[in-house]
Amino acid sequence: MEEEEKFDVIIVGAGPAGSACAYVLAKAGKNVLVIERGDAAGSKNVSGGRLYTYALELVEPGLCTEAMLERKVVREQIMLLTEKTGITIDCFDAEADLAGGEAQSYTVLRSSFDEWFAGKAEEQGAMIAAGILVDGLIIEAGKVVGVRAGEDEMYADLVIAADGVNSFIAQKAGLKNEWTGHEIGVGVKEIIELPESVIEDRFQLGQGEGAARMLLGNTNGVQGGGFLYTNKNSISLGLVLSPASLAQQDRSIADIYQDFKMHPAIYRAIQGGTTVEYGGHMVPENGWNSVPEKLYRDGLLVVGDAAGLVINTGTIIRGIDLAIVSGVAAARAVLAENAASKIGPEYVNELEKLHVTATMKLFAGWPKITGIERMAAIYPEMANEMMQFMFKVDGTVPEKMPKAMQHIMKKYVSVGQILSDAWKGFRAV
Amino acid sequence: MAGIWIYAEEQSLAKQLLTAGKELAQKINEPVVAIAIQSDMASALAGAGADKVFHLQAKTDWVENYEKPIAALLQKEEPSVVLIGGSLRGKALAAALAADMQTGLVNSALTLSYSDGAIETSRIMYGGLAVCTEVLSQGCVVTIESHVFEEAQTGQAPGEIAAMEVSLESKVELIRVDPIVHQGEDLQAASTVICVGRGLNGQEDMKLAESLAQKTHGVVGCTRSIAEDYHWLPTEAYIGLSGQKVKPDLYISMGVSGQVQHVAGIRDAKIIVAIDTNENAPIFSAADYGIVGDLHEVVPALIASIVK
Amino acid sequence: MNIIACYKWVLDEQDIKITTGSLALDTSRAKGKISEYDKNAIEEAVLQAAKSGAEVSTLTFGTGKAKASLKDALSRGPEKAYWVNDEKASTADGYVTANVLAAAIRKIGSADLLLFGEGSSDVYGQQVGPRVAALLEVPAITFVSKFEIQGDKVVATRTLGDSIEQVAVKLPAVLTLLPEINKPRIPSLKQVIGAAKKPMQEFKVADLDLPAAAVEPKTKVKSLLGFVMKRKNQIYKLDTVEASVQALVAGLAKDGVL
Repeated sequence: MEEEEKFDVIIVGAGPAGSACAYVLAKAGKNVLVIERGDAAGSKNVSGGRLYTYALELVEPGLCTEAMLERKVVREQIMLLTEKTGITIDCFDAEADLAGGEAQSYTVLRSSFDEWFAGKAEEQGAMIAAGILVDGLIIEAGKVVGVRAGEDEMYADLVIAADGVNSFIAQKAGLKNEWTGHEIGVGVKEIIELPESVIEDRFQLGQGEGAARMLLGNTNGVQGGGFLYTNKNSISLGLVLSPASLAQQDRSIADIYQDFKMHPAIYRAIQGGTTVEYGGHMVPENGWNSVPEKLYRDGLLVVGDAAGLVINTGTIIRGIDLAIVSGVAAARAVLAENAASKIGPEYVNELEKLHVTATMKLFAGWPKITGIERMAAIYPEMANEMMQFMFKVDGTVPEKMPKAMQHIMKKYVSVGQILSDAWKGFRAV
Repeated sequence: MAGIWIYAEEQSLAKQLLTAGKELAQKINEPVVAIAIQSDMASALAGAGADKVFHLQAKTDWVENYEKPIAALLQKEEPSVVLIGGSLRGKALAAALAADMQTGLVNSALTLSYSDGAIETSRIMYGGLAVCTEVLSQGCVVTIESHVFEEAQTGQAPGEIAAMEVSLESKVELIRVDPIVHQGEDLQAASTVICVGRGLNGQEDMKLAESLAQKTHGVVGCTRSIAEDYHWLPTEAYIGLSGQKVKPDLYISMGVSGQVQHVAGIRDAKIIVAIDTNENAPIFSAADYGIVGDLHEVVPALIASIVK
Repeated sequence: MNIIACYKWVLDEQDIKITTGSLALDTSRAKGKISEYDKNAIEEAVLQAAKSGAEVSTLTFGTGKAKASLKDALSRGPEKAYWVNDEKASTADGYVTANVLAAAIRKIGSADLLLFGEGSSDVYGQQVGPRVAALLEVPAITFVSKFEIQGDKVVATRTLGDSIEQVAVKLPAVLTLLPEINKPRIPSLKQVIGAAKKPMQEFKVADLDLPAAAVEPKTKVKSLLGFVMKRKNQIYKLDTVEASVQALVAGLAKDGVL
């Protein structure tokens, strides 16, 4: 007689949200199953990327010391590009630490980080089944009671959708519709291998230190931007662009990326490197306004990218940390609440207690700023031309600075346009 | 004294082993001794340079049954090295012998040399990605596949033939044997090979390859999937690590991406030419010349410009 | 009746890179996997067991890293997984591996049928199966493309280079299998979960009563370098296909091959 196996919680997806949730639940003695469609945790995941460490410390203090992290970020940079020139603002702080002394953020490589994190959840007693695709939910009398994978059905008191930006589970549960082209970004990313010392020399870093850079401009006028992160012995370089904006011109993101990569300033940073990975992924780009109205239904919670919990302000990109915190929130809700029907509301409560909701709401307007059309090319070009003027010496008598600046500005924008953009920005924050 | 011992169940391969053995014998100054289980093989090897041949005589012909008598003979004579023909049966026999003799075995050796007092072999590993050079202890077994060495020539002072009756035990019942009829032309003998891969749109594209082969007096071969998945050519036409390894003067590929397993089968070609639409295809880094383009345009143009 | 399928935990050759210059192999990104043809052996053991009501176990000889293979192997259907865990596996040649596996099989007690892949995807030494048979003094049938268990006999089809044979042998016996024998199924969710609960037994080489000489390799690797062909790498990229082709033909004529 086959006994029907039942778990306390089934988590779909072994990314940071899934593993964080599994870790906390398993540690508290719950019978947890995590089902991951990739051959290993992380194999299907892509980030720029960087992890803000407070989130890992929330799962378990001290976890950071063991984690598979790349470099501690000590240089925060913004770069404004034209076709051949660029302005870089570089903020250096070798002691970018949290109150407790832990470094604020590290660059990460998802394949190693996710695999390590899922392994930690396993150590706590969670069961991880990799290489399996969950293709359906089992719903009885309006309640989610389990999942379906091929011919197998598995039951649980609670199912958690941690299956990422394209969450099939959240859609099946009726909590989410398919994203529109305005709500997501499409990203490409390349990992370029370079020796540790070369990276440290080129980016002026000490051993173990890293740089994180956001880039605007040189994307053929398409809305979005680029990123560059230094890992231990590789550089992560890529673009995230708006599909809606891409559709208005005729070049593919891959083509735009190739030119972007060959920009003289960028090329010098990656010269001589070997490409070891090239891939793409979607990213939630619309912040709080695209987070599903309800993040739960009877028997199901939605966490991480599946819940759209991503913030992009241009200087700060947060996805992994919010995913982890939401995973912890979900776990805490399960542990606090015995009544099944109360878990959902308790999860929302935990998201508030852990500041996720307030943070998402605070930055709700930012997509309007990153979405300002002139950000993609006009402002970077204008800024570059202004700086070129500031640095130009050719023996002739230059224009008076205020006049020169006015001239330059007029080439690119009208006063009315600048005011309109400024107003958009002001309202957004 | 020790000796370099050789055995292969097929005469041509046995003569190739003789060449390998004689080359090694010059460096370590030991006799080359052959084992044969048929009398015509015994005389052929004696005449082609073997210093001595042991002709094992028994009632059946099933090669695998000779394991125990051969092992007994080798254990008595304590060879410095044993070279066995790397046919499939040969490899199975070699493994059993190595176990009986409690010695090492290197399969599919590409080279056999002597350095710092020890015999060394090189072979391919990781599906064609790497070459491994190993140092052998005394008395190891080495298998060598066909076409790695040239056949030893006859016309030497014949070696001694010693007949030995042996008894075989047969635990395996041989029910039937069906020879495999080899279809298609001999890729091994071809001086020009035209190779097709998955870049072809369909079977009708084979005509392009055949026309090019005709123009160049070449033979058509293919990558593994063309033979084993699509069956557009027989299995014997598949060129690669576990298929045919060819050594033509000219190899021209069309629609072949150039995975390591295929490239391992063409490494000894004199000139490699590749035609493919994908400029990042690995075949181009394995080629002497390449044209990035549509084979439906390039191949007809190539056929037209060959004047002969 | 019991069937043991032996397998090897290898590095995935797709992840191995060749370092430019030194040609040394960079295996830092290579993940481990059960060698491809060994998956066929495990699958065949499970398929045959279903037909004849036999019990299936797996056996492997590896370093500590091979632990990850046990659940993978069990998720494919066998009831139990044995492994010999020893650092010596990292330098073991066919001689050592066969000695260790044969000793482990003796320790396990008995096996009516032992299945091996034709060769491992890393070394492709093609020898461990027949060696183990010789050591255990049971017959070996190699290069099997199909077989059937008929009572206490196995009737097998061997696909050799020049012929196809049908042979029969009384059990116990060793069979080495060709990859065309089956297509391994992908484990389902229940199988993956179930695997964690199945018994796994670990041996150390010291448990196997082997003389010291039996676990010292007979061949030593002197060098392992990436195979990189030095070719001219000349790509013809002229304005028209005709122009490129003509340049190619001229070049080939000069080389004397056309």
